[in-house]
Amino acid sequence: MRNPLNKRIPRIFKKDAGKYIGIFLILVSIIALGSSFMAVMDSVQYTLDNNDRDCLLEDGQFETMLPVTDEAIVLIESNGVDIDENFYISINDFDGDVKLVVFDERDEMNLPSTFEGELPQKDDEIAIDRLFAKNHNIGIGDEVECRNQRFIVTALIALPDYNALFKSNQDLVMDVKGFGVAVVNHAGFERFAEDVHTYRYSYRFVDRELEKSAEREKIEYIQQTLVKNGSVIQSYLTKETNQCINLLREDMGKDGPVMQVFIYLLIMVVAFVFAILTANTIESEATIIGTLRSMGYTKAEVIWHYLSPTIIVALLSSVIGNTLGYTAMIEPFKNMYYGSYSIAPLQLRFNMKAFVMTTIFPVVIMILINLFMLWRKLSLSPLKFLRKDLSKKRQKHAVKLPDISFMARFRLRVLIQNKINYIILFVGIFISSFLLMFGIGLNPLVDHYVDEIDDSLTYEYQYILKAPVPAEGGEKLQTYSLKTWYAFGKTDMDVSFMGVSDDTEFFDGLKLPDNTDEIVISKPLADKLGAKAGDILEFKDDYYEKTYTLKVVDVYDYKGSLTAFMKLENLNELLGYEKGNFNSYLSNEKLDIDEHLIAKYITRADMIGSIKQLMESFRGVIFILNIFSVAIYMILMHILTKTVIEKNALSISFMKVFGYENNEISRLYLRATTITVLASLVVCIPIEVWCFKYTMVYVSSMVEGYMPFYLPGWVYAAIILIGIAAYFAINAFHIKKVKSIPMSEALKNRE
Amino acid sequence: MNLKIHDLHKFYGEGESRVEVLKGVECEVKAGEICVLLGPSGSGKSTLLNIIGGIESADEGCIDIGDDCTSTMGEKELTQYRRNHLGFVFQFYNLVPNLTVKENIEVCAYLSKKPLDIDELLKTLGLYEHKDKLPSQLSGGQQQRCAIGRALVKNPSILLCDEPTGALDYQTSKEILSLIEVVNKKYHNTIIIVTHNNAIKDMAHRVLKLRDGRIVSDYTNDIVVSASELEW
Repeated sequence: MRNPLNKRIPRIFKKDAGKYIGIFLILVSIIALGSSFMAVMDSVQYTLDNNDRDCLLEDGQFETMLPVTDEAIVLIESNGVDIDENFYISINDFDGDVKLVVFDERDEMNLPSTFEGELPQKDDEIAIDRLFAKNHNIGIGDEVECRNQRFIVTALIALPDYNALFKSNQDLVMDVKGFGVAVVNHAGFERFAEDVHTYRYSYRFVDRELEKSAEREKIEYIQQTLVKNGSVIQSYLTKETNQCINLLREDMGKDGPVMQVFIYLLIMVVAFVFAILTANTIESEATIIGTLRSMGYTKAEVIWHYLSPTIIVALLSSVIGNTLGYTAMIEPFKNMYYGSYSIAPLQLRFNMKAFVMTTIFPVVIMILINLFMLWRKLSLSPLKFLRKDLSKKRQKHAVKLPDISFMARFRLRVLIQNKINYIILFVGIFISSFLLMFGIGLNPLVDHYVDEIDDSLTYEYQYILKAPVPAEGGEKLQTYSLKTWYAFGKTDMDVSFMGVSDDTEFFDGLKLPDNTDEIVISKPLADKLGAKAGDILEFKDDYYEKTYTLKVVDVYDYKGSLTAFMKLENLNELLGYEKGNFNSYLSNEKLDIDEHLIAKYITRADMIGSIKQLMESFRGVIFILNIFSVAIYMILMHILTKTVIEKNALSISFMKVFGYENNEISRLYLRATTITVLASLVVCIPIEVWCFKYTMVYVSSMVEGYMPFYLPGWVYAAIILIGIAAYFAINAFHIKKVKSIPMSEALKNRE
Repeated sequence: MNLKIHDLHKFYGEGESRVEVLKGVECEVKAGEICVLLGPSGSGKSTLLNIIGGIESADEGCIDIGDDCTSTMGEKELTQYRRNHLGFVFQFYNLVPNLTVKENIEVCAYLSKKPLDIDELLKTLGLYEHKDKLPSQLSGGQQQRCAIGRALVKNPSILLCDEPTGALDYQTSKEILSLIEVVNKKYHNTIIIVTHNNAIKDMAHRVLKLRDGRIVSDYTNDIVVSASELEW
């Protein structure tokens, strides 16, 4: 015979439908969110790994002033390194002032992946980066103009060496609107014969299992061979130091654990909520349990009966959560990557690890917590259940309260009685508010960052030169990039050194030190490193394997980048350059410099626009985050506060009999919850701010640059107001519930 | 305060399953009387008590309390009626489990403009030394004393007791009945006691016997026996 108790399970769900639906919705959301995030992250990783292998991603690249001699290439290739010409032309005025880099057809390395269309077959055909094309409304069959030559777009592609569209490796952020890449075939590239080419060479180690030390030796050999054969190296990047290749991989590696911790935390909250509900059910069904146990039902049978709703909800949530996670929720998370990065077409795959983490593990946590609670509760004797005496302690003493008003003491008693509920409510409010703070606060934070950069930039143009040529109206500057150890991020980070003229017009109030071993650092650099005046910092030059130990003498309020300032002649001396050397100009106007001699130039609009663009890709996720936070707020509040009322339903009924009015009863039983919710909302704010700041530091550790913490007052107000609005919406239901509790409950003979 | 009940009818259910539980109850309890309402299970005594208490409404008839008639009262007026005139004592005490003895009494003191002195009441009830204990720390008799204190603290004109000794042993039951007697003498409340226990009728001024929804006996005792002398 089947266990007749099982017939009760549908009735248990029906009786507490609101609560079970609430928990089910939270669980489904968490699992859907987690599984889609993890599945997309894993699939992107998988796509990247496959793409690296299939498209023969380079191990590094270098650019030279002139083409490298055949002898040098033969020598390098004989040392177990394949070299491929990866020449390109830069079009700085594509579609206005957008920069498009057009590469020659790729045969041996960095092969394009096609989203749509066919790679160029004719000399008037071009394949354009998918993200760039999307941002500029370019489609297959459109005609584009490059250096007065017309091309028909035949394919939308992704290049493995341009997953992240950085205009320059020194840039703070990607510029998916202002920068793009394209490929034409050899014949098409011939059409640019008259234009200036950039001689980039990509290389791959023949041995794919090389040790790091062996790789370093080969890199040294490449550099030495190039120099010995008369090449002037303009830039040299390994796969690891190339932000266009490496940023996404580093970014993805670090997102995962944060999300996992977040999901587990939420699951724990839900599991405890479930445990509270089950505990309440056991209290209200104590006599039934006592009867079942005294009639011979085993403890395990009773536990199984009360655990069944948990198991059913958890399993159902996991099935639906995963189904949603792998279908409807994929797109926003995919957009988070595909809206910012240029990656080959996603190869979505079922990920066992993600399934275990987002489904098996949460279900097991839920069941274990509930099992533990049930096992503990049901260890009492059947007689105790029959007598409804479920306390383990022999005698429970009243907590002594101060001599305050009756109402205040009554509410304190309600608080003490429901302390576990309120603690979980506090945790729930904290998690929801934190998510909300992130969702609401990210926009003003980035806007503030952009404004700060805009305010602190005192120049409109920076020209980086290939050679120190004279130019009317520009202020000479020597720039150079060195690395310093960033302990928090456990990585080396780039610091931009600026050798500034004594009579600089652009850095007002900057007091440059006289000594060559002293520097002034920009505020973002000081903040990121936690450095201050008097500190000694060590910088490394990876190209020339030199180390510089420099003393910080001042912090200068320049938000533009992570910068160390020195006198122009001091930086030249430090780097071993001639006294009057320089490689940049700063200016408020466009300078008349031969374009061939400009390595790159950066405008104020470049810096500002690129950061704003970063926010675009997050919009979908931020929207989900905000909806999710408010939903968690409301569901948790509903379940936990409803439990308080149900626990006290009999007492509320007495109160009505005694002559209490509904509003007085609400004041007694709901005010405690209102106070807890309001206090939690306020108390959580400083903790959330601390966590947000820490998150910002953590995010800063993953990227080049430093975004200082900033949240305007209205964000705090919005979080509290949304919390209050959510609570009062729920409270309205509870007031109705209090009104509906019948007085006859109190008069029923009960034992 | 006098209590007059006129032709009270109460029905439960609908259609064929409609049952009349009170069939034209008519009686009067004078101010300051102890009235015992006797009757077997299903006789309608608890329903009558609930209607007197303003917790249930009658389908026909009315109850006059002083100058007021409960049948014309809305929900708010009924609440005020209970608040101003009534005290309840239940069989199973129904104390608020997370409040101390004193706080349980304060629950009703809060409702009164002129509550009795709680400490004095606690002394009368013999609970002063237990005032900071939770209900779970008390015996059944002590819990019922607390429940009586809670009902009395607002000095109600009518005290409704639904099987006040139903959950207590013989000795404790007598103690509680003695307490009710003391309370009646001290505060002059009208007290209506619903009980199965036939012996309790001897301590009442008035006895009403209910059977099958009708009053089958209504008389006053010429000699009222002290609760301490009751035997059963």
